[in-house]
Amino acid sequence: MTTLGTVSSLIAQADLIDPKSMQLMLIFSALLFVIGLVGFLTRRNMIIMFLCTELMFQGAALAMVAFGRMHMDASGQVFVIFILTVAAAEAALALGLVILLYRKRDTLDAEAWSELREC
Amino acid sequence: MPATTLYSACVASAIGLYLLMRGTGGGVRGMGTIVALGGLGWLLSETFASIDGDVGPTIAPLIFGVIAVMAAVRVITHRRPVFAALYFILVVIASAGLFLMLHAEFMAFALIIVYAGAILITYMFVLMLAQQSPTDAGDSGSAWYDRTPREPAIALLAGFILLATLVEAMDNSRARHFDTMTETVATRAAEQPWIDLGRLPRELLRTAQDVDPDVVDVLSAPRLDDGIVRLSVRLHGGTETEITLPQSSQPSNTRVVGLALVADYPVSLELAGVILLMAMFGAVVLCRKQIELGEDEAQQAAGISGGPQS
Repeated sequence: MTTLGTVSSLIAQADLIDPKSMQLMLIFSALLFVIGLVGFLTRRNMIIMFLCTELMFQGAALAMVAFGRMHMDASGQVFVIFILTVAAAEAALALGLVILLYRKRDTLDAEAWSELREC
Repeated sequence: MPATTLYSACVASAIGLYLLMRGTGGGVRGMGTIVALGGLGWLLSETFASIDGDVGPTIAPLIFGVIAVMAAVRVITHRRPVFAALYFILVVIASAGLFLMLHAEFMAFALIIVYAGAILITYMFVLMLAQQSPTDAGDSGSAWYDRTPREPAIALLAGFILLATLVEAMDNSRARHFDTMTETVATRAAEQPWIDLGRLPRELLRTAQDVDPDVVDVLSAPRLDDGIVRLSVRLHGGTETEITLPQSSQPSNTRVVGLALVADYPVSLELAGVILLMAMFGAVVLCRKQIELGEDEAQQAAGISGGPQS
């Protein structure tokens, strides 16, 4: 009981995150990740599939910032900066590829490419 | 929370999402919305009940989080890709709100500027470049592949088993006192801002001068004992003394992130720049269009001979 008292007084004193908010953030990050995963698997539109990977990035970024806040450590936020970098690089490259594929088949359907051979 | 409750809430959300994806009529989709919201509410209320603590500070994160999750569901269920991209902007803005609640102000604004401002604009451009012509569009103005999900049942099964496992893992680790605030974690976290302040000498001197204008030099790093931050300083006349810093003189979020970025991860920062440069080259190479030119046209384009002179 004394331990719990020390921890809650520390939380109040040093403006740390309370466990309830922490758990809430983790649940929301898990939900965003899972919704992104389901979207990636179910959507057929290639652009929306990439949008769903960005949703998964959002979930991961939220978890990292939340854990960083728990330890009052900025490394979590630095990681989110790198996630932003990778997302920007992915948007540039993947969307260029999508445009190329669209020019070849005139459709954004990923199933149109289920047979990998020259067209 | 008990495992059966957790799995039932996940199954309810999954059924709701399935109806939302598969339903063709407004009624089925409405029912799907209600079932999915019910599952989400169940999951959240069980989480709330299983942790003791004050509800007050969790209200704002709860609102932002529910907006983010509902917009995310719209991203994966909306039949028009442009609207899906717009809902993704809503997800980004709501998670920026969550970042603000986590005192990550710099990341919140960077997220809005970079994600909503730059990356999503690229997505919008590509969506409009690759738009189907209205003649072969279906009844609702969207292509058939936007209206028909691929294997929604299996995808939802995989996704929600993952969700249940994640939530159960969080629960178990909390029960074993791993992930919530143990005393060690809380103590170290309370010290961390002052350690960061000690690594910023000019900021530290300015903070000390805010407390006592006579300070000319800081002699030690700030120390935290018993909730009071002490700092040894030299005053104007040369006397050495100890001052206490108020809680509000912690370094700001932007300073801490900048310090971590350039002092702790400099090589990664450089590599991130190289990745961006390479992605730019790659995109240029991919999207370059080969244009066949005749002899005369090539010479004209190069400005060697012929053609109208300006």
